[in-house]
Order: sequence, then C-alpha cells, then structure tokens
Amino acid sequence: MIHAYNLRKQFGNVVAVDDVSFSAPDGAVTGLLGPNGAGKTTSLRMVYGLLKPASGKVEIDGIDVAARTLEAQARIGVLPDISGLYQRLTAREHIRYYGNLQGIKGPELESRINKWVEVLGLEDVIERRVAGFSHGERTKVALARALVHNPQNILLDEPTNGLDVMSTRAVRELIRQLRSQGRCVVFSSHVMQEVSALCDRIVVIAHGRVVAEGTAEELLAQTGMTSLEDAFVQLAGPHGETA
Amino acid sequence: MNNVLTVARKEWIDGFRDRRALYTLLIGSLFGPLMIGFMFSQIASQRKGAQEIKIPVVGREYAPILVNWLTQQSGVEIEAGPADPEAAVRDRKVDLVLVIEKDFAEKFRDSRPAPVQVVSDATSNSTRAKVSRLNSLLNGFSSETGSLRLMARGVSPIVASALKIEQIEVATSQQRAAMIFNFIPMFLILALFTAGMPIASDSTAGERERGSLEPLLIIPIPRWQLVAGKWLAATGAALTGMLLTLMVTLVVLSRLALEELGIRNHVGTAQILLILAAVIPMVLVSPALQMFVSCFAKSFKEAQSYLGLLVLLPTLPSILTIFYPLTNRPWMHPIPILGQYAMVTEILGGKVPPTLSLIAAPVVAILITAALLVMATKLFSSEKIIFGR
Repeated sequence: MIHAYNLRKQFGNVVAVDDVSFSAPDGAVTGLLGPNGAGKTTSLRMVYGLLKPASGKVEIDGIDVAARTLEAQARIGVLPDISGLYQRLTAREHIRYYGNLQGIKGPELESRINKWVEVLGLEDVIERRVAGFSHGERTKVALARALVHNPQNILLDEPTNGLDVMSTRAVRELIRQLRSQGRCVVFSSHVMQEVSALCDRIVVIAHGRVVAEGTAEELLAQTGMTSLEDAFVQLAGPHGETA
Repeated sequence: MNNVLTVARKEWIDGFRDRRALYTLLIGSLFGPLMIGFMFSQIASQRKGAQEIKIPVVGREYAPILVNWLTQQSGVEIEAGPADPEAAVRDRKVDLVLVIEKDFAEKFRDSRPAPVQVVSDATSNSTRAKVSRLNSLLNGFSSETGSLRLMARGVSPIVASALKIEQIEVATSQQRAAMIFNFIPMFLILALFTAGMPIASDSTAGERERGSLEPLLIIPIPRWQLVAGKWLAATGAALTGMLLTLMVTLVVLSRLALEELGIRNHVGTAQILLILAAVIPMVLVSPALQMFVSCFAKSFKEAQSYLGLLVLLPTLPSILTIFYPLTNRPWMHPIPILGQYAMVTEILGGKVPPTLSLIAAPVVAILITAALLVMATKLFSSEKIIFGR
C-alpha cells in the first residue's frame, strides 16, 4: 500500500512536481496517466526514495520513505524509466546479482529465478549474455531482476514503452497476476489504452499536479465525456489546470 | 560485508569479460618490463660493440707499424676506410674513421709527433664508447713508442711522466644501467593505474551512462557497500596488473647479465616482499581516486579521458628528477607515488627503507583511500550525480 501526500519537487527554477497526492491500495493496479513531462517519473522517483521531496511525504506500508528509506525500499520492486543492463552478464547473472543483494541465496534463489524464467518466457535466453537482446527481452530481464525478492509493492515506470505486441501482452499478463496475488501495483504510462485496459484506479497527472483521480467511469462522469481519450485531453490539456 | 563481496564479484566478472579492458591490462603490465629488457640489452650491446671494435683506416700504407700494433690488440679489426671519411661519418655510414696522413712515416722516423685524425660525430650516442676506446688505443701506442724512444736514448721513461694519473672510471654504461632501475617503480605504478582504470570508470560513470545505476540504488543496501564493492573489484584488478608487471620485470632482470654491466642484482625474496610493501599503498589509493574522478563524468568515455590525464601523475617524479635530482628522504615515503619511487629505488639499490616508512605509507594510504571512498559515497547519494543533471 502506497500513500503519497502533497509531493513537490523543483530543479533550479523549474517546478517538476507541484502537488501530487495519490493512494495505491493492495490488490489493485493504480495507473499514473499523464503526457510526457507531466511529472510522473519524478513523482515515482520520490516514491522509491531516490529523490527527496521538497515538501510532502510518501508512506509505503505505513513506513515513511524519507525517514526509513532502506526499510521502505525493502518493500518495493521497481522498474525505473531507464533500466540499463550489463552487456557482458547473462540474463541469469542479472537476476542472481539483484537476488544476492536482496539477501536471497543458493537453491532458494535459483528456484525463484527459474520461476521468473517460466512466468516471463525467458527459457531460450536465460544463459545468454544480454548484449544481443531485443528490447522486449531486456525489459523482461529488468522486470525479473526488479521482482526477484517478491516485493509487496511494485512500481513500473512506462513498462510497455516501445514493446512489441507479444511482449506487451506478457507484461500485462504479469501485472494482472501480481494484482490477483494481492499486491499493490503502480504503473505509469502516457498511453490511454494501456491504462484503461489494466488499471483499477487512474491518477491523471498534468503540469506537476493531480488533475483527476478515480475509476475510468468516474473520470468520464467527472469530465462529461463519452470516451476516455476525450476525458484525458480535457483533463491534461491547458484547461485542465483549473480542474 | 556479503553485499560488498557480491558487488565486487559482479564488477570483477563484468570487467574481465571486457576484452578491451583485458588487453589494456596485459599491454599496460607488459610494456614496462619489456622496455626495461630492451634498454638493458641496448646498453649491453653498445658496450660489447666498444670492446670489439672495427676501425676503418684511411692511409694504412703510410703507417704499417701503427696498423700492425692495432691489429695485435684484442678485439680490434682493421678495415679499409671510406674515400670521404667526414661525409661517411656525417651520414652515419660508419661510426668513426682513423685517418693516417701522408707524412706519418717521415715524421715517425724522425721521432716527431706523427699526425693521425680520428673522425667521429659527438652527437651520436652509440659511437661514444667506440671513440673513447680508439682514443685510448692510440694513447697506448703513443706512450709505448715514446717509452721505447727514451730507453733507446738511455733515459728512463719514468722521467717523461710528470704525473701519475690514476683513472677512476665511473663507467657510463653502468650509470645508465642503474638509471634504468629508476624506471621500475614508474612502470609498477603505471601498471596498477591502467589495470584498475577500466573497472573504476565502468562501474561508476559507465553504470550511470547505461542507466543501470538507478535500479541498483533502489536495492535497500547502504550506498557505502556498493562503493566499497566497486573499489574492491578495481583494486583487485590494479593488484593483478601490478603483480604481473613485477613478475615479468623480475624474470627479465634474472635473464639479463647484470653483472656484466657492473650492476649487482640485489633482488631476492626479501626485496620482493619489501617492494610489495612499498607499492601496495598505491594499489589502494589509485582505484579510489579513479572512482572519485569518474563519478563526475557523464559517460565512460568522458571518465576515460579524465583518467588519461591522471595517468600523467605517476610519470611526474621521473620527469622532475631530470630538473631536480631527487635525493631519497624519509619524508617522501608516505606520500603516494613519490613514496613508491623513493622506496622502490632504495630497495633495488640493496637498502631497506626505515620501518617507520613501511608503517606510515600504508597508514597514510588507507586514510586517503577512506576519505576518497567517503566522498564517492556522497556523490553516489547526490541527486545531481545519480540523474546527471
């Protein structure tokens, strides 16, 4: 369970996040929807503790991220915006490295890796070095490595960005599985369809602020639109600031 | 501690799968020792060249007595000289020419100084030994003949010697050979510098560049453990490079006939251990410095170019010695780089650095390393560094 309260962050004179609050409950997928540059990534970085908010705070399972960063980070698995891999390591070595650092070892770790190989369909590439991997294969390796410790809270920053149809389906399938296991999934996207297809709750962010929050139906009702895309444009556009 | 080892192992594996880094390590480690071997063999061959001398002689028919005398000296071979001696020497076709003038026979017969010329080029290093050998041969002939003439006139040759000159020769080849020893500490430091560099920069600037730093920093472990692990891996590589250089250097030294050059080879097990004790402080400092500097670089390439400048540091002492002959002083010993020079040169010269130095050097090194790693950890926690703003 994640609670973000009135997050604010600025870089120099640029206010990247003005006022962002949202809640992401367990057993649900919460989508952060917003155009590019709206402040989604910056908000997420404050949630997983790599950026310090100028004001506001984040709680993960009731733990204050700023005060008890490592404890809070132990309860999350994150696929950041850019999730680089080590060209010269194999897929298995990537997952093993993160598993080891998360304190998992030996046969227990290997059986978890094998489970992820099965879930994500990495059988053919798991022992290969990642240098020649496709974008989809890379994302899957990054996902497995981020989730190897079975975290309760999962943050995915634009996980399906640039993926082909098959990989996108695999990621969506994974997100649904995680939800059915009762986990808290937060996932950001600028793609309407992506969010409406997956999310139980949608948080629309524009110009560094939360402009709307609720289910798809609630957003439609709030804007008086018939399609979610129109609703999004209405909310995220320049007029949305006053909403 | 487990995390530190996990990070170190990963960086080590990653680093050693990098072919380029591996070649850097090998070339960096072998360059020095091979250079030393080459320089020693050059000096040895020059020396040998001086002892076995071929003298091109022009006008040998004017002075059969001198030519015969020369031929009888050991290692001397006489050959016909070139038509234009000065041009031949200037063009480096021959190293030197002995020219005997036409009136040699006549003047020699009358016991007057008989003219000979030694044509040589003083700017050519390789011929210097040969020229001095020829000069001493000619002086030998001159004084021998002079003595005979005095004796023929019933005068003891001793009266002709106003001075008894004793030549105490500090052979130049020996000096030059000893100077090559001074290169050994430089090559050891260069080797550990180049060997530690790929991991130090790839695990910091490279990690940032490829976007793998952000997910790594979300793992709930203290930042210093990441930094320490990366440093440990780079230090391991630096140590490997340094040991490789030391081993190859020792093999090269043992193959060279140093005694022939008038140098005593002092290096035994005790000296090897002392050299290690003297150099290892730098093995700790150098990767920490490289990591700290690399943290400021936005890319692996940028880091490499900063570190390229840093590599100039180890060569500074040897450049400085050209202007200021550095005399070894104990205060130099704890100073990184300078200390390694001072101590290794001392050890190779058969001395043992003071115990205080052998303790102070690693203590100072550990303090500097710790300070650099603390600063690197701070940088690893800085939002500006992580996200490269």
